[in-house]
Amino acid sequence: MGQIAQYAINGLMSGAIYALIAVGIVSVYKATKVVNFAHGYLIMFGAYFYYTFAVIFPGMDWAPAWLASWQPGWMTEMREGLTMFSPMGAVLDWAANLPRIVFGLAGALVCNAILGRIIERVLMRPLMGQSVFAMIMVTVGLISILSGGAQLIWTADADFVPTIAPNTPLRFEMFGTMIFLFGADLVNMVIALLMFGGIVLWVRYTKGGIAIRATAEDQSTAYSMGISVPKVFSRAWVLASTTGAIAGAILATRNGISPSLGLFGFSVLAIVLMGGLDSYVGVFIAAMSVGVLEAMTQWKMGGDWAEIVPYVTVLVVLIWRPHGLFGQKEVERI
Amino acid sequence: MLTIENIEVTYHHTVQALRGLSLEVPDGKIVTLLGTNGAGKTTTLKAASNLLALENGEVGEGRISFNGQSIMSIQPDRLVQQGLFHVREGRRVFTEMTVEDNLIAASYALDQRKVKPDYDKVYDFFPRLKERRRQVAGYLSGGEQQMLAFGRAMIARPELILMDEPSLGLAPKIVEEIFDTIKRLNTEDGTSILLVEQNAGVAFGVADYGYIMESGQIVMEGDVAKLRNDKDIQSFYLGMSDDGSDARQSFRDVKHYKRRKRWLS
Repeated sequence: MGQIAQYAINGLMSGAIYALIAVGIVSVYKATKVVNFAHGYLIMFGAYFYYTFAVIFPGMDWAPAWLASWQPGWMTEMREGLTMFSPMGAVLDWAANLPRIVFGLAGALVCNAILGRIIERVLMRPLMGQSVFAMIMVTVGLISILSGGAQLIWTADADFVPTIAPNTPLRFEMFGTMIFLFGADLVNMVIALLMFGGIVLWVRYTKGGIAIRATAEDQSTAYSMGISVPKVFSRAWVLASTTGAIAGAILATRNGISPSLGLFGFSVLAIVLMGGLDSYVGVFIAAMSVGVLEAMTQWKMGGDWAEIVPYVTVLVVLIWRPHGLFGQKEVERI
Repeated sequence: MLTIENIEVTYHHTVQALRGLSLEVPDGKIVTLLGTNGAGKTTTLKAASNLLALENGEVGEGRISFNGQSIMSIQPDRLVQQGLFHVREGRRVFTEMTVEDNLIAASYALDQRKVKPDYDKVYDFFPRLKERRRQVAGYLSGGEQQMLAFGRAMIARPELILMDEPSLGLAPKIVEEIFDTIKRLNTEDGTSILLVEQNAGVAFGVADYGYIMESGQIVMEGDVAKLRNDKDIQSFYLGMSDDGSDARQSFRDVKHYKRRKRWLS
């Protein structure tokens, strides 16, 4: 029983990150009806921006020393007498990294927002009024541009980045067994869930969200309500790229940074299809179930199966419900 | 208020929909535009609200001005904010959103104007909408959807409403209600209205001035009183017999060549 809880928690933690990635795909789809195949690579850029601002820049000659490693007097004092691998030590390690973590996240958010805006303005906007299919093909082309671009700028070498939260190991008892997890993973999950929830509430209850939904349903009528449709488009892309930046940073802290991060986008695309392209709730449930399923398969059947079983489930769900779990079929009066 | 001078519109660079159409909507008046299917009425309205570009249409020649200012380079959403509101053909409510959210969407028309949206006014006007304000708009009846379409127009506080076939697919009793509303919008708020209709009888009931169009051109215009007494209009649009009496005429009695009469021949 305890083992199940352990793996379920692991699954929920990766599920939350899937959900955060999915939110970008759903938002762009809702507003523009474009399935963004390149979203994974947008995330990869977010991860590399985080790497640039948190690792490369602080290591440069011109960067102040406190940016790379912040060691005020009181911190060195506290460090004295601590044993190796003590929780306090992990917190202090994190505190020393704090300036570059904040710098890295801020840089990733801003740069990715700019990137998303440029993509929308240069590649998507000129295709407005053409068939949606044209725009979808553009996002497919974008994959090559982004993955090639990242290798040109940052080379294909893998590297590590500082975790966002102190990586203290946490142990507690649940159902009679010891559960073991890392503090950073827990904080990542909380960040992902908060961002997801915030966006869902924003779309459902604010005027800006109504503009997105109105545009999603009928572009020309949205125009005739005074809604600036191009503005809604770029807002959706900026939303996708900023949530993607955070998701990318989190992924980079878990798996290290490398161009293969972009591939995450495809597995999340399957999750999004399973949940229903335009439903935040459905996508959330799908992301969490795939996360848990992955963890469970890993436990019972080993790592090789973990990559297959969840996606077979996705296929089965899609055969059973082609619109996805909660995808909206058109409202029809009977 | 709105002046359209001699415009030509083509779709996809090939299909010519309007050929030299001119019309004018004076301040505070209701002007009706009548014509058969495919005459170009809806195209005229889309040209005036700048929505043509979204459907690969293009205004080739001529000028359209709203309040003395050319609309050609104004984005459609800005145009709405300046007071020109287009109630689209077939109502076009946002079916997946609630009644309330539909009205909030229309409040974007008030951006950059220092006016607050007056939802209560809409609900006073249409108590039915108030009862159903949390309901998804797609499940409203046709009449209620038309009320919602009008409600959105009221939220936007326009100076001019372009109204595309408000009677489409509605029962005669509802049509009557809808046209009362149009009259009220005009008299109470002083809103000018350009009304496109197929149902000439009800349109003449509210309008001050009328235009008749056929294959992309205006073929006749005049005060409603004058149009109403015109023999051709009586037989083509009002379904009266040639001698002007109210006696209904059977289509069987109309000679074929006569029914195909062209206005300009």
